[in-house]
Amino acid sequence: MNQWQRVHPASPFVHGWLAIVGLLWVYWQNTDELSWADRFSGSRLTWTVAIGSAALLLVLIFYALSWYFTRYKISETHVYVNSGMIFRSQKQARIDKVQGIDIAQPLVARLLGLAELRFDVADGSASVMRLSFLRKAHAHQLRTEILALAQGEVAAPSEDVEQPPAAEPVPLMAKVPAGRLLASLLLRVPTIIGLLGALTVGIVSITGNGAFVAGLLPILLGFGGWFYKELNNSWNFSASATDTGLRISHGLADTKQQSLPAGRVQSIQISSPAFWRLLGWYRVEVNALGVGDEEFSNLLVLPVGDFNAVTQVMGILLPDLGAENQREVLLTAITTGTTHGFINSPMRAKMLSPGAWKHQAFLATQNCVITRFGWLSRSAAFVPHNRIQGMGWQQGPWECRHELAGVRLYSAGGTIIGYLHQLDASVASEFFAAQAQRQVER
Amino acid sequence: MKTPMESLPNNFTAVDPDYFKVKLVNWSIQSSCYLLVALLPLILRLFGLPAPWWLVIVPPVLVIGIALLVLRILRRQVRALGYQERTEDLVVRSGVLWRKQLVIPYGRMQYVEVTSGPVERRYGLCKLTLNTAAGAATAVIPGLRAETGEELRERLVAAGEANQL
Repeated sequence: MNQWQRVHPASPFVHGWLAIVGLLWVYWQNTDELSWADRFSGSRLTWTVAIGSAALLLVLIFYALSWYFTRYKISETHVYVNSGMIFRSQKQARIDKVQGIDIAQPLVARLLGLAELRFDVADGSASVMRLSFLRKAHAHQLRTEILALAQGEVAAPSEDVEQPPAAEPVPLMAKVPAGRLLASLLLRVPTIIGLLGALTVGIVSITGNGAFVAGLLPILLGFGGWFYKELNNSWNFSASATDTGLRISHGLADTKQQSLPAGRVQSIQISSPAFWRLLGWYRVEVNALGVGDEEFSNLLVLPVGDFNAVTQVMGILLPDLGAENQREVLLTAITTGTTHGFINSPMRAKMLSPGAWKHQAFLATQNCVITRFGWLSRSAAFVPHNRIQGMGWQQGPWECRHELAGVRLYSAGGTIIGYLHQLDASVASEFFAAQAQRQVER
Repeated sequence: MKTPMESLPNNFTAVDPDYFKVKLVNWSIQSSCYLLVALLPLILRLFGLPAPWWLVIVPPVLVIGIALLVLRILRRQVRALGYQERTEDLVVRSGVLWRKQLVIPYGRMQYVEVTSGPVERRYGLCKLTLNTAAGAATAVIPGLRAETGEELRERLVAAGEANQL
């Protein structure tokens, strides 16, 4: 503590292992036509060894310098991370502003038993501060220490700072077994299309039409990539409750642990893809500020789960829906029907949305607006009044003819939008006026 | 029972009518670019390269037709633009066929930008953009007089500070 330390010596390799793979690939490309015996005989061997070791030396020197210039220090008040030899970068984070620390393990790091710390700091800086890489045990220990410091530093306990997890085992809220995850992914439409495509390619390639197969292959790779991304993101998923919110851990090749304070949640979407509805399965995503890698992607808090799992997760993320009979309201929100005060599209919307008109509905409670939309695949969005950044009323030419109108509720931190589709125009306008009042109340 | 439109905000401040000229200049530049592309087959033919007749005739006719349709509603589009400063939020209206109203509470405002392109500057106009933490909730008011835009920005910034949540 309180002195400069270096990260794990293998760190540059984890960052730059692609460079070595690249070297090998270049070598392979240039000696493609040679046999193994040719490669390792005579003057060719000398040259191969000379150039190879020179390149390797260069890479190693680069790695060593990169390692040498990357240092970190943890003082009483700050975490410092310095890096870079030509373009020096010095980053620091005030410990009392640290809101959470994620532990991430990309594939190569995981093979070497290393982990990266990602500091989530509430000082308005856009980028996340990373400390990579440390031995996994060391990373966990450091995380606990820094969070303890953060706890001690603040005079009044801040609501957002997470408790050190070592204090007591946190209650497990949801866990996704591998079998259910695979089943749920197999029931997704992209998987089904991908599998049908693969089947077609198989049949056609047996009958011998190579050009057709070559055309379809990139598309199949696209579906495969989607499947892998979903699988990698949701594998071994578990969510546990902490004092302030949820702690999520997941990942197949790249594992990640994230903490999501409930105060950062901007809006929630519970969706049920077409075939999941038969099984009563749901998926929960949130818009959250300062959590997650990309600004324009939603954070997955439950890859697949039944209604009970949904209520448990919702109980942490949005404990008070602002309505009586919360459980029934939640159930109505994610299924269908107009009980508990949900208002749906009028019959004349049937012309514009023949399938969905009956299901699209909204409910404005004391705390949030609940909207439901979609036909085969249904979604429900929950946007708390005080998280709405802006609201748009809109009406297209056909909606105008049928005296319909829609409203959209925008929130920060992701792509979830509260859609109120094709309402009766007067209902939409009244909601628009009332909601403008609700969202500025403090 | 109120008619649907009555509960919507209605007394909007219109943007400057000169904005129509800006739109007209932009329209003519855009249309000529599209037309140039659509005329490529004709040019090829003039240089003696083979191009089928339908390719020579159909695209320019389509481009001219669409451009004239746009021209017809251009003035109405400008008239539809408007904004209203309410006690707690700003409402911006736009669109003729696809009508929109966007409400941004002053407290959610992150920053206000006033910009003006070369054509706008010629007519002494500017464009005001109001950004929030959500990318989709961005209000744009084009066609303000330069001094009106500055004043509006001052007022919005002041209101934003007063209403900070």
